Amino acid sequence: MAPLKHLEKENPIIDACFQDFCASHGILTSCVLHLLFLYLSNYFEDFLLHDLYELTAFSQRQTNADRLKEGITLILSLIERQCRPLVNGLKLLEDLHRNKHTLSTGDKETDSLLQGGFREGQLTELVGPSSSGKTQFCMQAAASVAENHLGRVLYLDTGNSFSARRIAQFICSSSDATLGQKVMSRILCHTVYDIYTLFDTLQDLEITLRLQMNVNESRLRLLVVDSISSLITPILGGSGSQGRALMVAIGYLLKKLAHEHSIAILVTNHTVGAGGEGGKTKPALGETWKSIPHVRLSLSRDHKNSNCTISILKHTSLPSGQAAKTLTRKENQQCP
Amino acid sequence: MEAWRLPLSSSIRGKLISAGYTSLPSISSVSSSDLARDVNITEEEAFEILRLAKQSSGSSSCNGSRSLINGAKNAWDMLHEEDSLPRITTSCSDLDSILGGGISCRDVTEIGGVPGIGKTQIGIQLSVNVQIPRECGGLGGKAIYIDTEGSFMVERALQIAEACVEDMEEYTGYMHKHFQANQVQMKPKDILDNIFYFRVCSYTEQIALVNHLDKFISENKDVKVVIVDSITFHFRQDFDDLVQRTRVLSEMALKFMKLAKKFSLAVVLLNQVTTKYTEGSFQLALALGDSWSHSCTNRVILYWNGDERYAYIDKSPSLPSASASYTVTSRGLRNSSSSSKRVKMM
Repeated sequence: MAPLKHLEKENPIIDACFQDFCASHGILTSCVLHLLFLYLSNYFEDFLLHDLYELTAFSQRQTNADRLKEGITLILSLIERQCRPLVNGLKLLEDLHRNKHTLSTGDKETDSLLQGGFREGQLTELVGPSSSGKTQFCMQAAASVAENHLGRVLYLDTGNSFSARRIAQFICSSSDATLGQKVMSRILCHTVYDIYTLFDTLQDLEITLRLQMNVNESRLRLLVVDSISSLITPILGGSGSQGRALMVAIGYLLKKLAHEHSIAILVTNHTVGAGGEGGKTKPALGETWKSIPHVRLSLSRDHKNSNCTISILKHTSLPSGQAAKTLTRKENQQCP
Repeated sequence: MEAWRLPLSSSIRGKLISAGYTSLPSISSVSSSDLARDVNITEEEAFEILRLAKQSSGSSSCNGSRSLINGAKNAWDMLHEEDSLPRITTSCSDLDSILGGGISCRDVTEIGGVPGIGKTQIGIQLSVNVQIPRECGGLGGKAIYIDTEGSFMVERALQIAEACVEDMEEYTGYMHKHFQANQVQMKPKDILDNIFYFRVCSYTEQIALVNHLDKFISENKDVKVVIVDSITFHFRQDFDDLVQRTRVLSEMALKFMKLAKKFSLAVVLLNQVTTKYTEGSFQLALALGDSWSHSCTNRVILYWNGDERYAYIDKSPSLPSASASYTVTSRGLRNSSSSSKRVKMM
């Protein structure tokens, strides 16, 4: 029985804690609390899932009823400590001005469409059919952030599409060798080929960011996952909702990373046929994924004259349906 | 809840969670026999779960190094690596020039076209050209040819191999005039020796082979190209559940990507065409649907233009869109001898 097991496991720890408690005249030292906190934080969920009155009634029938009741009150107070602090609107606005800047996408028309570019702390999704320019857009954004905003970029590539040569073409200061080298060394590329590796990578990243206090000069500003749909499609569908659960979990993990560490996150998605009347396409990953990104942009390419059209499907502060035309930057084109 | 993040089958995961093991520390603190008894699984499965849990929690231990995550490379280092990456020539210089030198290693290239345009010819040519030794500018590697349609003809491969050896002898004879001719050690039979041929008769065999390739290539490290001719054949007919087909295909694509990156080899997938109804008209498009079209790094489409065969770069992360013409001769793939030899840039 799960609750009994947990209470038994916790009891010896609480015993030690109570001894310390009595020894120091009723003052719980912070280190003991911290240890308890770390150990018990995994059991909070199971504890909260069970009926509290039932647990108290159960403990009353035991021989050491008082100690168990004190243990339960202690755990409850620890749970309250784990609750996130409430913020008011003013604090949010201050956080916005101080930490969450707007990053230019590297392309003037897109910047004016998005009124500045990507916002740190938001998850932006780029949807488009095959060879519409999604990877080019991502690489251009990475080059722009590394060069203009002096931030580091982490590019998670699932299709071996990261091309350092193309990034070098996007950087305007490639004529100056040392500056070009500095800019390019701010862009890190890592390949992931399945969703479990992505989870591990993001968790490593979270720990590193928490330790390094993402506030100094060369902090991580942009995280690109190209493309997240190729990682999620193998697990979606079929019997059971495991795949959808993992997809939602990854979405929430990305949003949490973005908000806590003031990073802009860009993911790409592909399109699938919409069925029914032929020819229409819709973004992949289904209805559940639609509500997860903050901003959704749609990219389409006119193959006759290689014009790309980028339009807003969903945005937190701009009206949807607006569009802008851009041209993919060719090799010898001038920088803006 | 962290136990659902482990890559386990859903039945074992369900048993784990319903027995109360929802977080990684709770799993790692138990021995494998206790775990097997509690969750009602075999000892080997319990051992596997413990190994995965340790791996997962071990990788999240923090290190004090400056790098953001282990294994990430920065773009400056990758630039130098990319420039020195070898490419497999297609024996047709126009095609090579629009491909930036040839088929690049570490990429998955998809080549598709109507029947009869020369896809199998390109496949055989590449499996011969990858074996050109380094002294003549090639890779000196072996090839894996996965045949799903039965279109690989050994006589044709021998013919192309003989033509390749003659070209190499001419090349070395030209470059090293003071040496005797016939310095080339390779014989056409050696070239055929170095092509590993697999014949696949159903989609389950295809999936099993792709899973096995990792182990096979670890044992034969000089394989430098994997050609699949064609990837569509077993997935087009008799596949009832299209959702399952999408899942299986995207899983296979990821495995190919991983192979290409891990062993630095080129993966060439040959695809067929189908008609699609877009923008009010029926057009030719590559088979296997929209999801599959995102699973390759580069895509080359072969088409007829009058009497000429043309190749068009449809998707590439670093090459501009361009098309070039080629011909299929008795010696293999060669430049077309038409008057307009210039590469058409789009």
